[in-house]
Amino acid sequence: MRWRTMMRIALRMALHEKMKFAGAMVGVVFAVLLSNQQAATFLGLVNRNIMFVDNAGADIWIMPGATEILQPGKFLSTSPLDQARGTPGVAWAEPILFGSATVSLPQGGSEQVTLIGTRAPSWRGGPFNLVAGSADALTQPDAMIFEDSDRGKLGGLNLGSIREVNGRRTHVVGFTWGLVPLGPASYAFAEFDLARELMHSDADQFSFILVGAQPGADLQAIKRELQRRMSSERVATRAEFKRSLLNYTIFKTPIGIVLGSSSAVGLLVGFIMVALTMFSAVLDNLREFGTLKALGATTFDLVRLLWTQAAIYGALGAFVGVALVSQAASAARSAQLAMQLPPALLFGTLVVAIAMCIAASSLAVLRVRSVEPAMVFR
Amino acid sequence: MSGIELRSVTKVYGTGAAAYQALRGLDFTARPGEFVMLSGPSGSGKTTLLSIIGCVLSPTTGSVHLFGEDVSRRKESELPALRLSYIGFVFQGHKLLASLTARENIALPLELRGWSAREARTEAERLLARVGLGHRLEHRPADLSGGERQRVAIGRALAGSPPLILADEPTAALDATNGRNVTDLLRMLAKEHGHTVVVVTHDNRITSLADRVVHIEDGIIGELAA
Repeated sequence: MRWRTMMRIALRMALHEKMKFAGAMVGVVFAVLLSNQQAATFLGLVNRNIMFVDNAGADIWIMPGATEILQPGKFLSTSPLDQARGTPGVAWAEPILFGSATVSLPQGGSEQVTLIGTRAPSWRGGPFNLVAGSADALTQPDAMIFEDSDRGKLGGLNLGSIREVNGRRTHVVGFTWGLVPLGPASYAFAEFDLARELMHSDADQFSFILVGAQPGADLQAIKRELQRRMSSERVATRAEFKRSLLNYTIFKTPIGIVLGSSSAVGLLVGFIMVALTMFSAVLDNLREFGTLKALGATTFDLVRLLWTQAAIYGALGAFVGVALVSQAASAARSAQLAMQLPPALLFGTLVVAIAMCIAASSLAVLRVRSVEPAMVFR
Repeated sequence: MSGIELRSVTKVYGTGAAAYQALRGLDFTARPGEFVMLSGPSGSGKTTLLSIIGCVLSPTTGSVHLFGEDVSRRKESELPALRLSYIGFVFQGHKLLASLTARENIALPLELRGWSAREARTEAERLLARVGLGHRLEHRPADLSGGERQRVAIGRALAGSPPLILADEPTAALDATNGRNVTDLLRMLAKEHGHTVVVVTHDNRITSLADRVVHIEDGIIGELAA
C-alpha cells in the first residue's frame, strides 16, 4: 500500500518539475543511446563472424586443436573426417577449406578475400545469403561466388566477370549479401577442389569438419565421443564455438575494450546527470520531504519515492533511447555493418538503465535520510 | 484524562558552549476538546513546544504523554506511527505538496495510515466539503487562494480524525476575514468534534476565540489568560 502511495507521489512530483524531469531524461537517454549504439555495433561486428557458424548448418565443429576463431590455420587430415563419419549419432560430416586468396583487379592492384571451399551437392558451409546465382553454379569450371557489397572494391564485379584469383582465372557465378567477417577480407566461395587448387593445399587437408547430428541425438554425447576419438583436435558444439568467437572478440581484440569503454563512459555520464538532477530536486523540495515526514512518512517511504522516480527516469529513458538507437540502426544498416539489437540487449538496457538511475539516486537518498520533520515548523 | 500532559520538559539544542536551552522545565496540559493558543515573542520556545507535542522532536528531559501514552522516550523510528495515530498538523504557509491536487493532499495521510486509495479519496472529498472546498477537489495549491490553501491544510489535518490538531501560525499569511474563518473552523473542530486543538500564534485578532492562551517567554510559561 505504501509503495503504491509513494509511487504515485513520485510520479506526480517528477512530472510536476518539467525542467528537472527533462534534465534527468536527457541524461538517461544519452547514456542509453551511447551505450546501446556501442553495444549494438559490437554485436553487429561479432555477428559477422558468428553468422557464418549459424548459417553453416553444422551441429558440431571439428577444428585443429586450440583453434578459437574462424580463420585459416593449421589443417586437419582425413582421419578425423573418417572418425566423425563412423561415430554413432552423426548423420553427416563434411570438410570445408578456409584460406586467404588474392584477387587481381583489372585496373591493377589486388584485394584479399577469405576463400571458402565447400563440397557439392550438399554445400555444407555455404554459400548462403545468395542474392544472385546459385550454389550449384559453383560446379562449373573455375566458378566463384563473391560478396555483393565487395563488387565495387573488386573492380566492378558482375555475373560473368572474370577475375584472377591466386593467379588463376575464375569467373563470377553469384553473389552473397552481408558475409563480411571481421577483418579486411570478405568471404568468397568456390567448389572444394577448386579452392584446394587455389590454396595449393593437399587433397587430404581440411580447415574444419562440419558435423550434423541425427534428429533427436544428444549433441553433448556425440561431442564427447568425437573428442574421445580425436584427442589432438578441438570438438565444439555450435553454441560453444559461437561462445569462443564472442570471448575472443571481447577479450583478445581491441574491439571489446574500445566499444566497452565507450559504453561505460555513456553510462557514467548518464549516471552523473541523473544523480545531480535528483540531488538538486531533493534540495529544492526539502520542505516537501520534511512535510511528508512530519505527516507520518518514514525515511524508507521517501526512499521508495526516490527509487520510484529513478525507475521512471530509467524506464522512460531506456524506452526513448532504444527507440532512437533502433532508428539509427535501421538507417545505418549495410552489408558492412548491421547493428544488432537483440531482445536480450533491449531487456538488458531496461534493467541497466533502471539500476543506473537507482544507483544514481543514492546521493539524494542520503540527503533525504537527514531531513528532519521539525524543519516544517521553522 | 488529559489529551496532552507535559511535565518538567526541557529542550537543549547543541552542546557545550554552543548549547541553547529552548525550554526550561515546562509543564503544560490540554484536555480533549480544548482550544488552546500558545503565544509569545519570537524565540520564546513556542515552536519547540509544538514540535515536542507533535512528536517531531524529543525532549531533552521531562515526560510527554499524549492521551495517556508516554511518548517522550520513544525511538525515532517509532515517531512517524505516533504522529499518524494522534496528530493532524496545520503548518505555517500550508505546506501542501505542490504537485498534488487538494483531494490528493488530503488523501495522502489517510493512505499513509493504510486506507485504500478509494476510501481515502472518498474521505478526502468529504473533508474538503467540510472545510467549504467541495468544488475545488482537483485544484492544485498554486490554483487556490491563500485562505483556500489553509483550509485544505486543515482538511489534511483532519484526515483520519486524529484526536490532536496542532497549528503553527495558521493565520499568518491570511487577511483578517480569512484568518477569522480559519480560526472559527479550528475552534469548531474542538467544540463540536472533540479534537484537542493547539495553535501557535502571534495574531492578537484571534486569541479571543481560544479557551485558554498560554504565554511562553524564555522557555517557560509566563502567564495564563482565560
